[in-house]
Amino acid sequence: MPSASDTTSVSTTDPTPVGDRSRRGSMLLKAVGLVALTVAVLSFPAVAANPFILSVGVVIMSYAVLATSWNFVGGFTGYISLGHASYSGLGAYATGLLVIHTSMNPWLAMLLAGLVVAVLAVPIGIASLRVRGASFVIVSIALVLILLLVFQSWGSFTGGSNGLRVPRPFGPEVLRPEQHERFFYLHAALLAVALLVWWLIDRSRFGTGLKAIREDEDKAQALGVPTFTYKLIAFVVSAFFTALGGGMYALWFGFLDPIFQFSILVGSYMVLMSLLGGIRSLFGPFLGAVIVGYAVEYFKNQYGDTQFHLVAMGLLLGLVVLFMPDGIIPAATALVDRFRPQRTSIREVSAADLAEQRRTADPEAARADQQSRTDDGTDVPDASAETSTGAATDNDSPTVTEGARR
Amino acid sequence: MSLFVQSLVLGVLLGGLYALLAAGLTLYFGVMRVVMIAHSAFLILAAYLAWWFTNETGLDPLLSLVLTVPLFFGMGVVMQRSLISRLRPATLTMMSVLLTFSIALVIEGTLGFVFSGTQRRIRLDYGGSSIEIAGANVAVVKLIAFGLAVVSLAALFLIMKKTQFGQALRATIQHPEAARLIGINTERVAGYGFGLGLATAAIGGTALALDSTFYPSLHWHWIGPLMAIIVVGGLGSIPGAAIAAMVLGMGQALLQIPLGTTWAQTFFYIALFATLMVRPQGFFGGRLAQRF
Repeated sequence: MPSASDTTSVSTTDPTPVGDRSRRGSMLLKAVGLVALTVAVLSFPAVAANPFILSVGVVIMSYAVLATSWNFVGGFTGYISLGHASYSGLGAYATGLLVIHTSMNPWLAMLLAGLVVAVLAVPIGIASLRVRGASFVIVSIALVLILLLVFQSWGSFTGGSNGLRVPRPFGPEVLRPEQHERFFYLHAALLAVALLVWWLIDRSRFGTGLKAIREDEDKAQALGVPTFTYKLIAFVVSAFFTALGGGMYALWFGFLDPIFQFSILVGSYMVLMSLLGGIRSLFGPFLGAVIVGYAVEYFKNQYGDTQFHLVAMGLLLGLVVLFMPDGIIPAATALVDRFRPQRTSIREVSAADLAEQRRTADPEAARADQQSRTDDGTDVPDASAETSTGAATDNDSPTVTEGARR
Repeated sequence: MSLFVQSLVLGVLLGGLYALLAAGLTLYFGVMRVVMIAHSAFLILAAYLAWWFTNETGLDPLLSLVLTVPLFFGMGVVMQRSLISRLRPATLTMMSVLLTFSIALVIEGTLGFVFSGTQRRIRLDYGGSSIEIAGANVAVVKLIAFGLAVVSLAALFLIMKKTQFGQALRATIQHPEAARLIGINTERVAGYGFGLGLATAAIGGTALALDSTFYPSLHWHWIGPLMAIIVVGGLGSIPGAAIAAMVLGMGQALLQIPLGTTWAQTFFYIALFATLMVRPQGFFGGRLAQRF
């Protein structure tokens, strides 16, 4: 089983030591956690002290949707887009303009806007994904800047710098607090859909291919992963969900200004949230959104209009990149695992550790390992999705066993 | 016709400044594979330092170069050694973008905090005077800025081609492992390369401060065109960046006549997308650009 693509899933598979019993235990734990999280989210409007707190909750949920959508491309492929505000902004404007000009059902408009943005994302993706990383980032930033220019200058259509007023989807009989409450649930539903899709991709062969691209694009390509197509699909899906998030925000907030919609800062919030929570974890962006969203609202409330929030945001992002690029969730899991009794004799090792071990181990074992790698490396991507107990027991070299256990 | 010539001359002058700054960006990318988002933030920082220097001492802003160039060189070396080199090699390109982005935010925020967000401008006695060249009226300050850019680019070229350090730097850019094998201390060279790149931002910032107003968030208007230039020129190629800067700078200046300032700016981005569609490695990029 150990093969080059195995290393791709090192930190994505659940690092819990797995025996049959403990796996059932961890699944139970996960189910309980999921239920607790759902209850906590759903009961938030009931416990929120006042409409202001509730509106902060809506903002945070909106951030969570955006960050989770960002994570389709950032988390799976490792391509970091600083310009996802383009898609949320386009989604917001498309929704608003559709509602205003065609007076169609706002929810239909939102969905349609998402599809329009997804179609737009195809040529953008083709342009930016043909070469590796650097061009992708450059295009993502350039796109935000160009859209800001266009939407500010094209006043007759977009409202320009004066902004665009989006009619509310609920009648005037729905008061502000109730409006917030409804939108909180709507955002939560959208978030749930996004999370579900992310989870499904994560478990699929497609997702494994994407993660292979993230870990080593050359190797993935060599193993037959159609890297360009995969990247493009992930990118379009990401743009679609981001646009839906933007559209729903537009319907809730009711007013769009290019400065805030096509702001590089919003795009970097998505990155910071995902990175802080952990881009390889399902709930990482959500957790990050709660922390960063709360911090942003707090800063705005406390320090108002000063430039201070830029400094705080910059410092936080820098610290995360330097010291915690894997995010809170993996760091916390590692911490918990350290205190948990080791249930099996098989230890978790990272790719770097293993390489080190192999270098120091006697050449005989290293060669045996090499041999078994080439022997078993044929059925590639699915093997890495789950760590299963039986996978490596037929191998007696200790190095190999550890390799397979990763 | 005179409008055309006027725009052409202005385009050349602007292109010179773009070329210098793009050369800096190319240096970072060459030595470290880093897309340095904070480059234009340092540009604005240098402009503010020049303004502050003139306000405090009453001397000509050009003299501030004596302080800012070594300062920025030092900052570049420190930044590369203490921040960029800490990142994991596997994710360097992506993470360095985020890191330099966060540096840009901190600079923008600090400038806004210290100097407030109002627009600043240096008042010079020769600020209003202009010279006629080939039927076009050109402000003296623009000529000085262009001259500064040309001199620095020439100096950069000489350093790269004629000195031993330049040879080591080019070796590091072309093949770091091979450079290390023949005894080049690539880490130190990369640090100096970074410093050199940041020094171009110091010079560019002073040139910028001579003839235009600036404010903390101005750097976003610079980084987009600059990045478009280095992609069109081919990531990692300094002559490519310089040529692309000239062509795009002139294109922007010429398009301003029919389209107006705002729409003319989109020219850079259209060029960027067109390049990526037609020739993703850029028009002058060599081997390097293929993989990034």
